[in-house]
Amino acid sequence: MDIKKWGLKKSPWVFHLNTGACNNCDIEILDCLTPRFDLERFGVQLVTTPRHADVLLVTGPVTRQALPRLKHVYEQVAKPCLVVAVGTCACSCGIFDGSYHVAGPLDKIIPVDVYLPGCPPKPEAIILGVRKALNKL
Amino acid sequence: MSEATKGLIEQVKEALGGKAAEFQLESPSRLYVAVAREDAREAVEGLFRNLGARLVTISSVDTRPGIELLYHLAFDRAGLVCTVRTIVPGPSPEIESITPAIPGAEWVEREIHELMGVDFLNHPNLASLILADDWPEGSYPLRRSDG
Amino acid sequence: MTLSGAFLGLFYLVVFPGFAFTAVVGLFSSWVERKLSARLQWRVGPPWYQPFADFLKLLGKENVVPQGASRIGFFGAPVVGLAGVTLASTILWMANISPGSIFVGDLIAVIYLLMLPSLGIIIGGSFSRNPFGATGASREVKLMLAYEMPFLIALMTPVVKSGGLISIGALLDFQQGQGWMLGNASCALAFTAALFSSQAKLGLAPFDISEAETELIAGPLVEYSGSALALFKLTKAMLLAVLPILLITIFLGGARTPRTPLTYVLVLGFFIVLKNTNPRVRIDQAMRFFWIPLLALATLGIVLAAVGV
Repeated sequence: MDIKKWGLKKSPWVFHLNTGACNNCDIEILDCLTPRFDLERFGVQLVTTPRHADVLLVTGPVTRQALPRLKHVYEQVAKPCLVVAVGTCACSCGIFDGSYHVAGPLDKIIPVDVYLPGCPPKPEAIILGVRKALNKL
Repeated sequence: MSEATKGLIEQVKEALGGKAAEFQLESPSRLYVAVAREDAREAVEGLFRNLGARLVTISSVDTRPGIELLYHLAFDRAGLVCTVRTIVPGPSPEIESITPAIPGAEWVEREIHELMGVDFLNHPNLASLILADDWPEGSYPLRRSDG
Repeated sequence: MTLSGAFLGLFYLVVFPGFAFTAVVGLFSSWVERKLSARLQWRVGPPWYQPFADFLKLLGKENVVPQGASRIGFFGAPVVGLAGVTLASTILWMANISPGSIFVGDLIAVIYLLMLPSLGIIIGGSFSRNPFGATGASREVKLMLAYEMPFLIALMTPVVKSGGLISIGALLDFQQGQGWMLGNASCALAFTAALFSSQAKLGLAPFDISEAETELIAGPLVEYSGSALALFKLTKAMLLAVLPILLITIFLGGARTPRTPLTYVLVLGFFIVLKNTNPRVRIDQAMRFFWIPLLALATLGIVLAAVGV
């Protein structure tokens, strides 16, 4: 396998983006990154700027206010990059479907690689989702 | 209900006496006071300044007579929450802002203005807060008539 | 200089003990740092190839340059740091392996070259056209002003103690004859000062102020991605390999004995444990710490050395 692809599989740096979520999924993502689940075993590190990111963890149905910001962040991410839609709201708007301020689920705006339903998905599910995204490479 | 709470309720009734249209004790820790639109600001500020209440939040409901604003004030030591309710009627509802006296109400009133269309007079900054930058003017999402 | 001499010099610079050797040792040390930190936090930690995977992955990402940022400064900054640390490592190791082969005053050269990585970060942050980058760069400047002074005074203490020898080879011979520098009281104080200054130089907590993640996004590296970021990370890892060797060479008798890996791991262990047991300090607290207590300690050390203790 291409050595750079091997590097990408073994060292996914995640960036977390909230596009209007209720914060429940964000709390679960934070849980994932604590020593209890120890994602550093898989080489996962939380990075603070989209430029350093390999995996974009997006939560929330994309609100109209977050829409231009989401597009901006996606443009800033250094490709190749995987997008994981975390939570039911990112996958399909969930209970906010058709609301006055929602610009549609995530895949209407940026290409999504892995969908993680759940309200919120458990940390184990989030880890599984990131692994599946990496195995797709 | 403790003696202290009963005393507090009496104090509230005394402070708001002339202005209040009705007092309602829904439960031992919930007191509702209905006032006219013109007296709402004075009533709330009176409770805040003179009786030491804490503003919890302001909620608004779109009812048939008009938009109802509920100012929730908490007396933490006594465990009593007093709600001052007022109806703001009309197609362009307006009421005096309590922000000059209670700075913490600034964003709450901004949100109500944005989503319900209530104009707060003397508010320092009624810019948009939650809705998207390109949201159409004059469209207030949480009113019953709109979407 | 003969052609074969030039080739030999190039070999020393690029392969051993220069770039390739230092890079590998540096990336391994970076793994040791992460694994030990993980163990101290009751977790498992990354596998041994993790820093190598990080480096290779970064090489495969695209290089994004912010609009309006100068390309020369933006791409030149990581190269400056890498060149500095590579050269410093080569000189240091060559002085250890064949003491006579380096010029007199190589200690000064090494100290000067070890300032270049921080300079690279400052340049990179300033050329990023980003307020976080600029703030991170300014913090790195302040930090440098803070820790370089005690560091220099501490490193000059063995020179004063040995009677003015500024060649690493000569210092090694001196220690061969007279025992470790660390055995003298003045040098013990200087060693302590040098340890803390090295913590700041390496950018490890409690002095990782310029790249303060929770406050400054990524500090000076905020706009970097791809191979430029890979070079910055590699420079940091290589610095982790060079600084303990410098301290061992000057204070602990040199790096050519079989005891060296053990002392190297012990010094590295000190940095890691200090990193994991301390929260980050503010920039003004760091400056106060380096300019008052640590500078006093280093000055006391050099004064004692001058007196002959």
